[in-house]
Amino acid sequence: MMDRVRHTAIVMRSFWQLNWLEELQYRGNFFASLLGTLFWLAMAILTVALYFRHTTQLGGWDYWDVVVLLGVFNALAGVVECVLRPGIGHLPTDVRSGALDLVLVRPVDAQFYVSLRRLDVWRLADVVLGLALAGYALVHTGRMPSVVRLLAFGVTFAVAIAVVYSIWVSLMSLSFWFVAVENSSALFDAVFEAARYPVTAYPGALRFLFVYLIPIAWTTTIPASALTGRLQPSLALWAVAVGLAALGASRLLWRVALRRYTSAGG
Amino acid sequence: MASASAARAVTIWREQYTELMRAAFLVDLQYRASIAIWLLWGITEPVISLGIWWSIAAGGAVDGYTQGAFARYFFGVALVNQATLSWDAWNIDRWIREGEMNYRLTRPIAPIHEAIADNIAYKAPTTTIILVVWIAAAAFWPAVRVPFEPERWMLAVVAIVLAAAIRFLNGYATGLLAFWTTRATALVELQFGLSLFLSGRIAPLSLLPPGVVSVAQYFWFPYVLSFPVEVLTGSVMSTAQYARGFAAQIVWLAIWMALYLLVWKRGRRRYGAVGG
Repeated sequence: MMDRVRHTAIVMRSFWQLNWLEELQYRGNFFASLLGTLFWLAMAILTVALYFRHTTQLGGWDYWDVVVLLGVFNALAGVVECVLRPGIGHLPTDVRSGALDLVLVRPVDAQFYVSLRRLDVWRLADVVLGLALAGYALVHTGRMPSVVRLLAFGVTFAVAIAVVYSIWVSLMSLSFWFVAVENSSALFDAVFEAARYPVTAYPGALRFLFVYLIPIAWTTTIPASALTGRLQPSLALWAVAVGLAALGASRLLWRVALRRYTSAGG
Repeated sequence: MASASAARAVTIWREQYTELMRAAFLVDLQYRASIAIWLLWGITEPVISLGIWWSIAAGGAVDGYTQGAFARYFFGVALVNQATLSWDAWNIDRWIREGEMNYRLTRPIAPIHEAIADNIAYKAPTTTIILVVWIAAAAFWPAVRVPFEPERWMLAVVAIVLAAAIRFLNGYATGLLAFWTTRATALVELQFGLSLFLSGRIAPLSLLPPGVVSVAQYFWFPYVLSFPVEVLTGSVMSTAQYARGFAAQIVWLAIWMALYLLVWKRGRRRYGAVGG
Protein backbone atom coordinates (compact mmCIF):
# COMPACT_ATOMS: atom_id res chain seq x y z
CA MET A 1 0.00 0.00 0.00
CA MET A 2 2.74 2.46 1.05
CA ASP A 3 4.64 1.36 -2.00
CA ARG A 4 1.77 2.20 -4.30
CA VAL A 5 1.35 5.63 -2.75
CA ARG A 6 5.05 6.40 -3.18
CA HIS A 7 4.96 5.12 -6.71
CA THR A 8 1.97 7.31 -7.58
CA ALA A 9 3.67 10.30 -5.98
CA ILE A 10 6.75 9.87 -8.15
CA VAL A 11 4.70 9.57 -11.36
CA MET A 12 2.51 12.56 -10.55
CA ARG A 13 5.49 14.70 -9.63
CA SER A 14 7.04 14.24 -13.03
CA PHE A 15 3.73 15.12 -14.68
CA TRP A 16 3.40 18.28 -12.63
CA GLN A 17 6.95 19.33 -13.45
CA LEU A 18 6.15 19.08 -17.15
CA ASN A 19 2.86 20.84 -16.55
CA TRP A 20 4.57 23.72 -14.73
CA LEU A 21 7.11 24.21 -17.51
CA GLU A 22 4.29 24.26 -20.02
CA GLU A 23 2.28 26.77 -18.01
CA LEU A 24 5.25 29.10 -17.70
CA GLN A 25 4.90 29.76 -21.41
CA TYR A 26 1.49 31.30 -20.87
CA ARG A 27 2.28 34.04 -18.38
CA GLY A 28 0.16 36.47 -20.39
CA ASN A 29 -2.84 34.33 -19.52
CA PHE A 30 -2.21 35.03 -15.86
CA PHE A 31 -2.97 38.74 -16.19
CA ALA A 32 -5.91 38.14 -18.50
CA SER A 33 -7.46 35.65 -16.09
CA LEU A 34 -6.71 37.89 -13.10
CA LEU A 35 -8.47 40.82 -14.80
CA GLY A 36 -11.38 38.54 -15.64
CA THR A 37 -11.68 37.33 -12.07
CA LEU A 38 -11.56 40.87 -10.66
CA PHE A 39 -14.27 41.97 -13.11
CA TRP A 40 -16.63 39.10 -12.29
CA LEU A 41 -15.95 39.51 -8.57
CA ALA A 42 -16.94 43.17 -8.88
CA MET A 43 -20.15 42.19 -10.74
CA ALA A 44 -20.96 39.65 -8.02
CA ILE A 45 -20.46 42.17 -5.21
CA LEU A 46 -22.57 44.75 -7.06
CA THR A 47 -25.33 42.14 -7.45
CA VAL A 48 -25.31 41.50 -3.71
CA ALA A 49 -25.28 45.25 -3.10
CA LEU A 50 -28.34 45.55 -5.36
CA TYR A 51 -30.24 42.95 -3.34
CA PHE A 52 -29.32 44.78 -0.14
CA ARG A 53 -30.73 48.04 -1.51
CA HIS A 54 -34.09 46.37 -1.02
CA THR A 55 -33.56 44.16 2.01
CA THR A 56 -31.50 43.99 5.19
CA GLN A 57 -30.82 40.27 5.11
CA LEU A 58 -30.75 37.30 2.74
CA GLY A 59 -31.92 34.15 4.50
CA GLY A 60 -30.69 35.50 7.84
CA TRP A 61 -27.29 36.65 6.48
CA ASP A 62 -26.38 40.33 6.48
CA TYR A 63 -24.45 42.06 3.68
CA TRP A 64 -20.94 41.32 4.98
CA ASP A 65 -21.84 37.70 5.77
CA VAL A 66 -22.89 37.26 2.14
CA VAL A 67 -19.61 38.87 1.01
CA VAL A 68 -17.73 36.29 3.11
CA LEU A 69 -19.74 33.60 1.35
CA LEU A 70 -18.96 35.17 -2.01
CA GLY A 71 -15.24 34.94 -1.17
CA VAL A 72 -15.62 31.25 -0.33
CA PHE A 73 -17.53 30.78 -3.60
CA ASN A 74 -14.74 32.43 -5.58
CA ALA A 75 -12.08 30.31 -3.88
CA LEU A 76 -14.00 27.15 -4.68
CA ALA A 77 -14.58 28.27 -8.26
CA GLY A 78 -10.80 28.76 -8.44
CA VAL A 79 -10.29 25.12 -7.45
CA VAL A 80 -12.71 24.11 -10.20
CA GLU A 81 -10.86 26.18 -12.82
CA CYS A 82 -7.42 25.15 -11.62
CA VAL A 83 -7.91 21.40 -11.20
CA LEU A 84 -11.29 20.06 -12.27
CA ARG A 85 -11.94 21.70 -15.62
CA PRO A 86 -8.51 20.99 -17.16
CA GLY A 87 -8.39 17.49 -15.63
CA ILE A 88 -11.59 15.52 -15.26
CA GLY A 89 -13.44 18.09 -17.40
CA HIS A 90 -11.48 16.81 -20.36
CA LEU A 91 -12.80 13.27 -19.94
CA PRO A 92 -15.71 13.41 -22.44
CA THR A 93 -13.28 14.44 -25.21
CA ASP A 94 -10.94 11.59 -24.27
CA VAL A 95 -13.78 9.09 -24.29
CA ARG A 96 -15.03 10.25 -27.66
CA SER A 97 -11.61 10.26 -29.31
CA GLY A 98 -10.30 7.12 -27.66
CA ALA A 99 -7.45 9.05 -26.03
CA LEU A 100 -8.49 7.47 -22.73
CA ASP A 101 -6.55 4.38 -23.85
CA LEU A 102 -3.35 6.28 -23.16
CA VAL A 103 -4.59 7.02 -19.64
CA LEU A 104 -5.61 3.46 -18.86
CA VAL A 105 -2.23 1.98 -19.75
CA ARG A 106 -0.43 4.26 -17.32
CA PRO A 107 0.81 2.66 -14.11
CA VAL A 108 -1.36 4.82 -11.81
CA ASP A 109 -4.99 4.73 -10.73
CA ALA A 110 -6.97 6.05 -13.71
CA GLN A 111 -9.39 8.22 -11.71
CA PHE A 112 -6.56 9.72 -9.71
CA TYR A 113 -4.53 10.45 -12.81
CA VAL A 114 -7.42 11.85 -14.86
CA SER A 115 -8.37 14.13 -11.98
CA LEU A 116 -4.94 15.61 -11.32
CA ARG A 117 -3.15 15.33 -14.65
CA ARG A 118 -3.23 19.01 -15.53
CA LEU A 119 -3.25 22.01 -13.26
CA ASP A 120 -4.16 25.41 -14.62
CA VAL A 121 -1.88 26.94 -11.99
CA TRP A 122 -2.61 30.60 -12.76
CA ARG A 123 -6.17 30.11 -11.59
CA LEU A 124 -4.86 29.54 -8.09
CA ALA A 125 -4.99 33.33 -8.00
CA ASP A 126 -8.79 32.99 -7.84
CA VAL A 127 -8.46 30.89 -4.69
CA VAL A 128 -6.20 33.50 -3.10
CA LEU A 129 -8.47 36.39 -4.16
CA GLY A 130 -11.54 34.61 -2.83
CA LEU A 131 -10.02 33.85 0.54
CA ALA A 132 -8.67 37.41 0.71
CA LEU A 133 -12.17 38.80 0.09
CA ALA A 134 -13.63 36.58 2.80
CA GLY A 135 -10.83 37.64 5.15
CA TYR A 136 -11.36 41.32 4.36
CA ALA A 137 -15.10 41.07 5.02
CA LEU A 138 -14.45 39.41 8.39
CA VAL A 139 -11.81 41.93 9.47
CA HIS A 140 -13.91 44.85 8.22
CA THR A 141 -16.77 43.86 10.49
CA GLY A 142 -14.35 43.17 13.35
CA ARG A 143 -15.18 39.48 13.60
CA MET A 144 -11.83 37.78 13.53
CA PRO A 145 -12.61 34.06 13.55
CA SER A 146 -11.16 32.03 16.40
CA VAL A 147 -8.76 29.13 15.84
CA VAL A 148 -11.61 26.67 16.29
CA ARG A 149 -13.64 28.45 13.61
CA LEU A 150 -10.69 28.51 11.23
CA LEU A 151 -10.20 24.82 11.85
CA ALA A 152 -13.90 24.17 11.19
CA PHE A 153 -13.55 26.21 8.01
CA GLY A 154 -10.57 24.14 6.89
CA VAL A 155 -12.48 20.90 7.38
CA THR A 156 -15.72 22.08 5.78
CA PHE A 157 -13.86 23.68 2.86
CA ALA A 158 -12.17 20.33 2.23
CA VAL A 159 -15.64 18.75 2.33
CA ALA A 160 -16.81 21.35 -0.18
CA ILE A 161 -13.99 20.45 -2.55
CA ALA A 162 -14.88 16.75 -2.13
CA VAL A 163 -18.54 17.43 -2.95
CA VAL A 164 -17.77 19.57 -6.00
CA TYR A 165 -15.23 17.01 -7.18
CA SER A 166 -17.78 14.22 -6.80
CA ILE A 167 -20.35 16.16 -8.81
CA TRP A 168 -17.79 16.58 -11.60
CA VAL A 169 -16.77 12.91 -11.56
CA SER A 170 -20.43 11.89 -11.75
CA LEU A 171 -21.29 14.35 -14.54
CA MET A 172 -18.23 13.41 -16.56
CA SER A 173 -18.78 9.67 -16.05
CA LEU A 174 -22.07 10.11 -17.87
CA SER A 175 -20.04 10.65 -21.03
CA PHE A 176 -19.36 6.90 -21.11
CA TRP A 177 -23.07 6.45 -21.80
CA PHE A 178 -23.93 9.61 -23.71
CA VAL A 179 -21.04 10.41 -26.00
CA ALA A 180 -22.77 13.53 -27.29
CA VAL A 181 -22.75 15.22 -23.88
CA GLU A 182 -19.60 17.26 -24.28
CA ASN A 183 -20.89 20.35 -22.57
CA SER A 184 -22.06 18.78 -19.32
CA SER A 185 -19.64 21.09 -17.53
CA ALA A 186 -21.88 23.96 -18.66
CA LEU A 187 -24.64 22.37 -16.62
CA PHE A 188 -22.43 22.44 -13.54
CA ASP A 189 -21.46 26.07 -14.19
CA ALA A 190 -25.08 27.13 -14.36
CA VAL A 191 -26.27 25.32 -11.26
CA PHE A 192 -23.16 26.17 -9.25
CA GLU A 193 -24.05 29.86 -9.69
CA ALA A 194 -26.77 29.22 -7.14
CA ALA A 195 -24.07 28.63 -4.51
CA ARG A 196 -23.28 32.38 -4.58
CA TYR A 197 -25.97 32.93 -1.98
CA PRO A 198 -26.71 31.23 1.33
CA VAL A 199 -29.05 28.32 0.76
CA THR A 200 -31.46 29.78 3.33
CA ALA A 201 -32.07 32.68 0.93
CA TYR A 202 -34.01 30.44 -1.46
CA PRO A 203 -37.69 29.49 -1.27
CA GLY A 204 -38.48 26.00 0.05
CA ALA A 205 -38.53 24.03 -3.21
CA LEU A 206 -35.19 25.37 -4.43
CA ARG A 207 -33.67 24.91 -0.98
CA PHE A 208 -34.71 21.26 -0.96
CA LEU A 209 -33.18 20.84 -4.41
CA PHE A 210 -29.85 22.37 -3.38
CA VAL A 211 -29.56 20.50 -0.09
CA TYR A 212 -30.63 17.00 -1.11
CA LEU A 213 -30.70 16.53 -4.87
CA ILE A 214 -27.86 18.71 -6.20
CA PRO A 215 -25.89 19.11 -2.96
CA ILE A 216 -24.37 22.52 -3.68
CA ALA A 217 -25.66 23.84 -0.34
CA TRP A 218 -22.81 21.91 1.27
CA THR A 219 -20.21 23.66 -0.85
CA THR A 220 -20.35 27.33 0.14
CA THR A 221 -23.01 27.85 2.79
CA ILE A 222 -21.38 25.47 5.28
CA PRO A 223 -17.75 26.73 5.10
CA ALA A 224 -18.98 30.34 5.14
CA SER A 225 -21.13 29.47 8.18
CA ALA A 226 -17.98 28.20 9.88
CA LEU A 227 -16.25 31.53 9.24
CA THR A 228 -19.18 33.68 10.35
CA GLY A 229 -19.75 31.54 13.44
CA ARG A 230 -23.18 30.15 12.70
CA LEU A 231 -22.12 26.55 12.15
CA GLN A 232 -23.34 24.03 14.71
CA PRO A 233 -20.87 21.24 15.48
CA SER A 234 -23.44 18.59 14.59
CA LEU A 235 -23.85 20.12 11.13
CA ALA A 236 -20.08 20.05 10.64
CA LEU A 237 -20.12 16.32 11.35
CA TRP A 238 -22.98 15.89 8.88
CA ALA A 239 -20.96 17.77 6.31
CA VAL A 240 -18.04 15.40 6.73
CA ALA A 241 -20.42 12.46 6.29
CA VAL A 242 -21.91 14.04 3.15
CA GLY A 243 -18.43 14.62 1.73
CA LEU A 244 -17.36 11.04 2.31
CA ALA A 245 -20.63 9.66 0.94
CA ALA A 246 -20.28 11.82 -2.18
CA LEU A 247 -16.72 10.65 -2.77
CA GLY A 248 -17.74 7.01 -2.30
CA ALA A 249 -20.75 7.26 -4.60
CA SER A 250 -18.79 9.00 -7.35
CA ARG A 251 -16.00 6.41 -7.12
CA LEU A 252 -18.61 3.68 -7.55
CA LEU A 253 -20.16 5.42 -10.55
CA TRP A 254 -16.71 5.92 -12.09
CA ARG A 255 -15.93 2.20 -11.83
CA VAL A 256 -19.26 1.14 -13.32
CA ALA A 257 -18.78 3.68 -16.11
CA LEU A 258 -15.22 2.63 -16.87
CA ARG A 259 -16.36 -0.93 -17.40
CA ARG A 260 -18.45 0.32 -20.33
CA TYR A 261 -15.44 1.82 -22.05
CA THR A 262 -14.45 -0.05 -25.20
CA SER A 263 -12.20 2.56 -26.82
CA ALA A 264 -12.94 4.31 -30.09
CA GLY A 265 -11.59 4.32 -33.59
CA GLY A 266 -9.34 1.78 -35.16
CA MET B 1 -37.44 43.50 -66.51
CA ALA B 2 -36.14 44.92 -63.27
CA SER B 3 -38.98 43.34 -61.31
CA ALA B 4 -38.32 39.98 -62.96
CA SER B 5 -34.68 39.95 -61.85
CA ALA B 6 -35.70 41.17 -58.39
CA ALA B 7 -38.15 38.29 -58.17
CA ARG B 8 -35.41 35.92 -59.22
CA ALA B 9 -33.07 37.31 -56.57
CA VAL B 10 -35.74 36.81 -53.92
CA THR B 11 -36.24 33.21 -55.06
CA ILE B 12 -32.51 32.53 -54.83
CA TRP B 13 -32.34 34.06 -51.34
CA ARG B 14 -35.29 32.03 -50.21
CA GLU B 15 -33.76 28.82 -51.55
CA GLN B 16 -30.40 29.56 -49.97
CA TYR B 17 -31.94 30.34 -46.60
CA THR B 18 -34.18 27.28 -46.71
CA GLU B 19 -31.15 25.07 -47.32
CA LEU B 20 -28.99 26.77 -44.69
CA MET B 21 -31.73 26.50 -42.09
CA ARG B 22 -32.49 22.90 -42.98
CA ALA B 23 -28.81 22.00 -42.59
CA ALA B 24 -28.54 23.89 -39.29
CA PHE B 25 -31.68 22.24 -37.97
CA LEU B 26 -30.43 18.75 -38.88
CA VAL B 27 -27.11 19.44 -37.13
CA ASP B 28 -29.00 20.65 -34.03
CA LEU B 29 -31.07 17.48 -34.09
CA GLN B 30 -27.86 15.46 -33.81
CA TYR B 31 -26.94 17.40 -30.69
CA ARG B 32 -30.28 17.18 -28.88
CA ALA B 33 -28.68 16.30 -25.55
CA SER B 34 -26.31 19.27 -25.77
CA ILE B 35 -29.18 21.57 -26.66
CA ALA B 36 -31.17 20.37 -23.68
CA ILE B 37 -28.18 21.23 -21.50
CA TRP B 38 -27.78 24.73 -22.99
CA LEU B 39 -31.49 25.28 -22.50
CA LEU B 40 -31.19 24.41 -18.81
CA TRP B 41 -28.05 26.56 -18.60
CA GLY B 42 -30.05 29.48 -20.01
CA ILE B 43 -32.88 29.31 -17.52
CA THR B 44 -30.87 28.76 -14.33
CA GLU B 45 -29.83 32.42 -14.08
CA PRO B 46 -33.40 33.79 -14.12
CA VAL B 47 -34.49 30.97 -11.80
CA ILE B 48 -31.79 31.88 -9.26
CA SER B 49 -32.62 35.60 -9.47
CA LEU B 50 -36.31 34.86 -9.10
CA GLY B 51 -35.57 32.65 -6.08
CA ILE B 52 -33.71 35.43 -4.28
CA TRP B 53 -36.21 38.20 -5.16
CA TRP B 54 -39.09 35.88 -4.22
CA SER B 55 -37.63 35.54 -0.72
CA ILE B 56 -36.97 39.27 -0.46
CA ALA B 57 -40.53 40.08 -1.55
CA ALA B 58 -41.96 37.62 0.98
CA GLY B 59 -42.13 40.49 3.48
CA GLY B 60 -44.11 42.71 1.06
CA ALA B 61 -43.79 44.27 -2.37
CA VAL B 62 -40.35 45.66 -3.33
CA ASP B 63 -40.84 49.07 -5.00
CA GLY B 64 -44.15 47.86 -6.42
CA TYR B 65 -42.87 44.41 -7.37
CA THR B 66 -44.83 41.66 -5.63
CA GLN B 67 -43.70 38.03 -5.68
CA GLY B 68 -46.02 37.44 -8.63
CA ALA B 69 -44.63 40.44 -10.53
CA PHE B 70 -41.10 39.09 -10.05
CA ALA B 71 -42.23 35.66 -11.29
CA ARG B 72 -43.75 37.17 -14.46
CA TYR B 73 -40.67 39.32 -15.02
CA PHE B 74 -38.17 36.47 -14.77
CA PHE B 75 -40.29 34.09 -16.87
CA GLY B 76 -40.16 36.89 -19.43
CA VAL B 77 -36.38 37.19 -19.03
CA ALA B 78 -35.95 33.44 -19.60
CA LEU B 79 -38.06 33.58 -22.76
CA VAL B 80 -36.60 36.76 -24.27
CA ASN B 81 -33.05 35.77 -23.35
CA GLN B 82 -33.43 32.45 -25.14
CA ALA B 83 -34.76 34.23 -28.22
CA THR B 84 -32.01 36.86 -28.26
CA LEU B 85 -28.89 34.98 -27.05
CA SER B 86 -25.73 35.58 -29.02
CA TRP B 87 -22.91 33.06 -29.16
CA ASP B 88 -21.56 33.82 -32.64
CA ALA B 89 -18.44 35.60 -31.39
CA TRP B 90 -17.07 32.26 -30.16
CA ASN B 91 -17.74 30.64 -33.53
CA ILE B 92 -16.07 33.48 -35.43
CA ASP B 93 -13.12 33.33 -33.06
CA ARG B 94 -12.70 29.66 -33.91
CA TRP B 95 -13.27 30.20 -37.66
CA ILE B 96 -10.52 32.80 -37.78
CA ARG B 97 -8.08 31.09 -35.41
CA GLU B 98 -8.31 27.68 -37.01
CA GLY B 99 -8.67 28.77 -40.60
CA GLU B 100 -12.29 27.61 -40.96
CA MET B 101 -13.04 31.05 -42.35
CA ASN B 102 -11.30 30.11 -45.61
CA TYR B 103 -13.94 27.97 -47.22
CA ARG B 104 -16.64 30.26 -45.91
CA LEU B 105 -15.05 33.11 -47.84
CA THR B 106 -15.10 31.12 -51.06
CA ARG B 107 -18.86 30.68 -50.90
CA PRO B 108 -21.07 32.99 -52.95
CA ILE B 109 -22.88 34.03 -49.76
CA ALA B 110 -21.42 35.96 -46.79
CA PRO B 111 -20.82 33.84 -43.64
CA ILE B 112 -23.25 36.03 -41.68
CA HIS B 113 -26.16 34.41 -43.52
CA GLU B 114 -25.07 31.00 -42.31
CA ALA B 115 -24.99 32.43 -38.77
CA ILE B 116 -28.46 33.98 -39.17
CA ALA B 117 -29.87 30.68 -40.40
CA ASP B 118 -28.19 28.87 -37.47
CA ASN B 119 -29.73 31.32 -35.05
CA ILE B 120 -33.24 30.94 -36.45
CA ALA B 121 -33.01 27.15 -36.64
CA TYR B 122 -31.83 26.97 -33.00
CA LYS B 123 -33.92 29.68 -31.41
CA ALA B 124 -37.30 28.97 -32.96
CA PRO B 125 -37.66 25.48 -31.42
CA THR B 126 -35.93 26.24 -28.10
CA THR B 127 -37.87 29.46 -27.51
CA THR B 128 -41.06 27.56 -28.29
CA ILE B 129 -40.14 25.02 -25.60
CA ILE B 130 -39.79 27.79 -23.00
CA LEU B 131 -43.08 29.31 -24.17
CA VAL B 132 -44.85 25.96 -23.81
CA VAL B 133 -43.39 25.48 -20.32
CA TRP B 134 -44.57 28.99 -19.42
CA ILE B 135 -48.09 28.32 -20.70
CA ALA B 136 -48.18 25.01 -18.80
CA ALA B 137 -46.95 26.74 -15.63
CA ALA B 138 -49.58 29.47 -16.06
CA ALA B 139 -52.30 26.81 -16.04
CA PHE B 140 -51.45 25.94 -12.44
CA TRP B 141 -49.81 29.11 -11.17
CA PRO B 142 -51.88 32.28 -11.65
CA ALA B 143 -48.90 34.50 -10.66
CA VAL B 144 -47.15 33.90 -13.99
CA ARG B 145 -50.17 34.75 -16.16
CA VAL B 146 -49.60 37.90 -18.22
CA PRO B 147 -52.58 40.10 -19.09
CA PHE B 148 -54.67 38.70 -21.96
CA GLU B 149 -54.03 41.38 -24.55
CA PRO B 150 -53.21 39.88 -27.97
CA GLU B 151 -52.24 43.33 -29.41
CA ARG B 152 -49.63 43.63 -26.66
CA TRP B 153 -48.35 40.14 -27.45
CA MET B 154 -47.97 41.10 -31.11
CA LEU B 155 -45.95 44.17 -30.12
CA ALA B 156 -43.85 41.99 -27.80
CA VAL B 157 -43.05 39.66 -30.71
CA VAL B 158 -41.90 42.64 -32.79
CA ALA B 159 -39.78 43.93 -29.88
CA ILE B 160 -38.24 40.47 -29.38
CA VAL B 161 -37.35 40.10 -33.07
CA LEU B 162 -35.73 43.56 -33.10
CA ALA B 163 -33.88 42.74 -29.87
CA ALA B 164 -32.61 39.47 -31.33
CA ALA B 165 -31.37 41.30 -34.42
CA ILE B 166 -29.54 43.96 -32.37
CA ARG B 167 -27.91 41.44 -30.04
CA PHE B 168 -26.96 39.24 -32.97
CA LEU B 169 -25.28 42.07 -34.92
CA ASN B 170 -23.66 43.34 -31.72
CA GLY B 171 -22.18 39.92 -30.94
CA TYR B 172 -21.24 39.23 -34.54
CA ALA B 173 -19.52 42.57 -35.11
CA THR B 174 -17.64 42.32 -31.80
CA GLY B 175 -16.64 38.77 -32.68
CA LEU B 176 -15.24 39.95 -36.02
CA LEU B 177 -12.68 41.98 -34.07
CA ALA B 178 -10.91 38.60 -33.94
CA PHE B 179 -9.45 39.69 -37.28
CA TRP B 180 -7.30 42.08 -35.24
CA THR B 181 -7.05 40.63 -31.72
CA THR B 182 -7.11 37.23 -30.04
CA ARG B 183 -9.23 38.58 -27.20
CA ALA B 184 -12.40 39.52 -29.06
CA THR B 185 -14.44 37.08 -26.98
CA ALA B 186 -13.25 38.86 -23.82
CA LEU B 187 -14.98 42.00 -25.13
CA VAL B 188 -18.17 39.99 -25.57
CA GLU B 189 -17.84 38.73 -21.99
CA LEU B 190 -17.35 42.28 -20.76
CA GLN B 191 -20.62 43.31 -22.42
CA PHE B 192 -22.26 40.20 -21.01
CA GLY B 193 -21.16 41.20 -17.50
CA LEU B 194 -22.45 44.76 -17.88
CA SER B 195 -25.73 43.47 -19.29
CA LEU B 196 -26.40 41.73 -15.97
CA PHE B 197 -27.42 45.15 -14.69
CA LEU B 198 -27.94 47.36 -17.73
CA SER B 199 -30.20 44.88 -19.57
CA GLY B 200 -32.19 43.98 -16.49
CA ARG B 201 -31.04 40.39 -16.28
CA ILE B 202 -30.55 40.44 -12.53
CA ALA B 203 -33.44 42.73 -11.61
CA PRO B 204 -36.07 44.91 -13.28
CA LEU B 205 -34.41 48.20 -14.26
CA SER B 206 -36.63 50.22 -11.95
CA LEU B 207 -35.01 48.54 -8.94
CA LEU B 208 -31.51 49.71 -9.92
CA PRO B 209 -30.04 52.95 -8.57
CA PRO B 210 -31.40 55.85 -10.70
CA GLY B 211 -27.86 56.80 -11.76
CA VAL B 212 -27.28 53.39 -13.30
CA VAL B 213 -30.61 53.51 -15.12
CA SER B 214 -29.88 56.91 -16.64
CA VAL B 215 -26.49 55.63 -17.90
CA ALA B 216 -28.15 52.48 -19.30
CA GLN B 217 -30.49 54.63 -21.43
CA TYR B 218 -27.56 55.65 -23.62
CA PHE B 219 -26.67 52.04 -24.49
CA TRP B 220 -28.46 49.32 -26.41
CA PHE B 221 -28.59 47.11 -23.29
CA PRO B 222 -32.10 47.98 -22.00
CA TYR B 223 -33.64 47.59 -25.46
CA VAL B 224 -32.41 44.05 -26.07
CA LEU B 225 -33.94 42.49 -22.95
CA SER B 226 -35.66 44.75 -20.44
CA PHE B 227 -37.88 46.54 -22.98
CA PRO B 228 -39.30 43.42 -24.71
CA VAL B 229 -39.85 41.74 -21.32
CA GLU B 230 -41.71 44.76 -19.97
CA VAL B 231 -43.86 44.99 -23.09
CA LEU B 232 -44.79 41.37 -22.51
CA THR B 233 -45.49 41.62 -18.77
CA GLY B 234 -47.46 44.84 -19.11
CA SER B 235 -45.04 47.26 -17.42
CA VAL B 236 -44.79 49.33 -20.60
CA MET B 237 -48.11 51.17 -20.71
CA SER B 238 -48.07 54.56 -22.40
CA THR B 239 -47.74 55.27 -26.10
CA ALA B 240 -44.73 57.45 -25.29
CA GLN B 241 -42.96 54.49 -23.64
CA TYR B 242 -43.69 52.28 -26.65
CA ALA B 243 -42.53 54.94 -29.10
CA ARG B 244 -39.31 55.54 -27.16
CA GLY B 245 -38.52 51.83 -26.89
CA PHE B 246 -39.16 50.97 -30.52
CA ALA B 247 -37.37 54.09 -31.76
CA ALA B 248 -34.31 53.21 -29.67
CA GLN B 249 -34.42 49.65 -31.00
CA ILE B 250 -34.46 50.84 -34.60
CA VAL B 251 -31.63 53.32 -34.01
CA TRP B 252 -29.44 50.69 -32.33
CA LEU B 253 -30.23 48.18 -35.05
CA ALA B 254 -29.01 50.68 -37.65
CA ILE B 255 -25.88 51.47 -35.62
CA TRP B 256 -24.86 47.84 -35.15
CA MET B 257 -25.66 47.04 -38.75
CA ALA B 258 -23.35 49.85 -39.87
CA LEU B 259 -20.63 48.71 -37.45
CA TYR B 260 -20.94 45.15 -38.74
CA LEU B 261 -20.57 46.27 -42.35
CA LEU B 262 -17.56 48.40 -41.46
CA VAL B 263 -15.74 45.69 -39.47
CA TRP B 264 -16.55 43.03 -42.05
CA LYS B 265 -15.24 45.11 -44.94
CA ARG B 266 -12.02 46.14 -43.19
CA GLY B 267 -11.41 42.80 -41.47
CA ARG B 268 -11.71 40.71 -44.60
CA ARG B 269 -8.89 42.71 -46.14
CA ARG B 270 -6.67 42.04 -43.13
CA TYR B 271 -7.35 38.36 -43.09
CA GLY B 272 -4.57 35.93 -43.92
CA ALA B 273 -5.48 32.28 -43.67
CA VAL B 274 -4.02 30.00 -41.03
CA GLY B 275 -2.55 26.63 -41.90
CA GLY B 276 -0.90 25.17 -44.96
